[in-house]
Amino acid sequence: MSLLQIFEGPLFYIAVTVFMIGATWRILGIIAIGRKTDISPPKASANVGFIAGNLRHFLPRKVFAKRTWVHIVAGYSFHLGLFVLVIFAAPHITFFHDRIWDIRWPALPRWGLIIAAQFAFAGLIMLWVRRFSDPVMRLISDWDDHIGSWLTFLVMLTGCLALQESHDALKATHMLFVDIWLIYFPFSRLMHAMTFFLSRGYTGATYGRKGMNL
Amino acid sequence: MDLRELVAAMFLFALIVMPLESLQAQSVRPPANAVNQGIDKQIDEQIGTSNTLGTNSQSDYWRDLRHGKDGLATSGQSGRKLIQAQGEQWRIVRKTYIVKYGGWVLATAIFLIVLFYLIRGKIRLKAGRSGETISRFSLPHRTAHWFMASIFILLSISGLILLLGRTVLMPVIGKNAHSIVASAAMQGHNLFGPLFIVALIWLTFMFIRGNFFQMADLKWILKGGGLLGPHASAGHYNFGEKGWFWLVVIAGSIMAITGMILEFPWLAESLQLLQISVIVHAIGAIALISAALGHIYIGTLGMEGALDSMTTGDVDVVWAKEHHDLWYEEVTGQKVANPEAEGSQSIPDHNQISAQSQTTET
Repeated sequence: MSLLQIFEGPLFYIAVTVFMIGATWRILGIIAIGRKTDISPPKASANVGFIAGNLRHFLPRKVFAKRTWVHIVAGYSFHLGLFVLVIFAAPHITFFHDRIWDIRWPALPRWGLIIAAQFAFAGLIMLWVRRFSDPVMRLISDWDDHIGSWLTFLVMLTGCLALQESHDALKATHMLFVDIWLIYFPFSRLMHAMTFFLSRGYTGATYGRKGMNL
Repeated sequence: MDLRELVAAMFLFALIVMPLESLQAQSVRPPANAVNQGIDKQIDEQIGTSNTLGTNSQSDYWRDLRHGKDGLATSGQSGRKLIQAQGEQWRIVRKTYIVKYGGWVLATAIFLIVLFYLIRGKIRLKAGRSGETISRFSLPHRTAHWFMASIFILLSISGLILLLGRTVLMPVIGKNAHSIVASAAMQGHNLFGPLFIVALIWLTFMFIRGNFFQMADLKWILKGGGLLGPHASAGHYNFGEKGWFWLVVIAGSIMAITGMILEFPWLAESLQLLQISVIVHAIGAIALISAALGHIYIGTLGMEGALDSMTTGDVDVVWAKEHHDLWYEEVTGQKVANPEAEGSQSIPDHNQISAQSQTTET
């Protein structure tokens, strides 16, 4: 069995299992904590606040827009670019079809893939630069943040370096980093991809119930 | 037999009788003995096609191949030419001069930096750190700088693999491994290339203010930047920093243009433009990487306190006085009498300095 076969075979399924169980465990753990019963009479709907809190955070606050535009642009650039890369890259669609489910969907043309990758890389680099050059971000960042950023960068980089699809070694390298990333995900702040709606929703529900303007 | 068939037959003959190595090594220029009767005789014996009408010499064939001939069926930008003679010159220039001397230029740059470090050592603050800082670069400045630095490093590594890999890497790691690395480098280089243009435009707009040359720069040059003798006064940027900025802007723009031509070959109107782009791109890369090595050295190992300006954005007040005294005076309004012995002087209120500095930068 070649390294590529191991990395996209047994190791990949182990990584996906760890990812699924770990992520589910973390989300259930957060939900199980629950929240303190608020005995005050509600002034508005907490459920609406939950949804509004989630939606409101997609837009920058006007008062902070000038200070935060770089990382807002970088954040959207990275996350949307990465989403498009993962979901609409032709090699990924084929891989999902062959390994996970029997469904196919339209793939991006190669030039679209390149542009999405450039947006994702530009965004990720800017976000990481901000992490060590902004005094506040530097203070609240630890190794977990940096490892998460670098692992994601290496997954993207090795994937793009293997774009020519001419060498199994490059694909194997990409798959190895994908497997490591999947295993690391549930135990790190990368989990924010699955928990952000809970924290935004919690804040939104709490404030919404009090009738605060979100 | 028309000329087209004759050319095809000659090409087939060449493939049959010549070993691969000699084909690779041999110039495509017409051999000096192109009209040699011996060769004509050999061709006659092999395929019996040479000069059958008695009107063409071998030099005529070569001339037609190189300069075009009606009736030749070719495609692409080459017109009716089967051989582009400039391609051979391009190959020789790239292989003999660019790869060989480019590598030596880089090696020399590294050697000079190491030598300078051994002779001069780390440039330390003469008065020591004061603990008080002054704001030098805002967060957008630092983000633009590190964004460019990240892209530049990725492009430099992948570009050097493409340029020097066959000469330097292949003998060490072997052909198969080099093939893998080169494939990855090509994909990476093409991917990050367009981002360099974004980074260059962003960097230019962020840093152009204060980077125009002034009379103080001439004095700075005459004093050797203070490295070899007396203190050399400088504003926000000294002559070396300004030179580096303009090198990045000008050489970077040339790299961007030639890089886009190479990444999107259909932009080029002729094959010559592609060949020139390869040469110019390689020369620009060697120049930029060599200068970047010096920039990285002086910004990290070479000078105490310099890196702070690009990590925290703040520099020690003593550093500002010793290396950028005119900028310090401009920001604080305080005269620096003797920049090399300022550590013991009273230091203005930090908040006041930061506020003034940010105002001048943003």
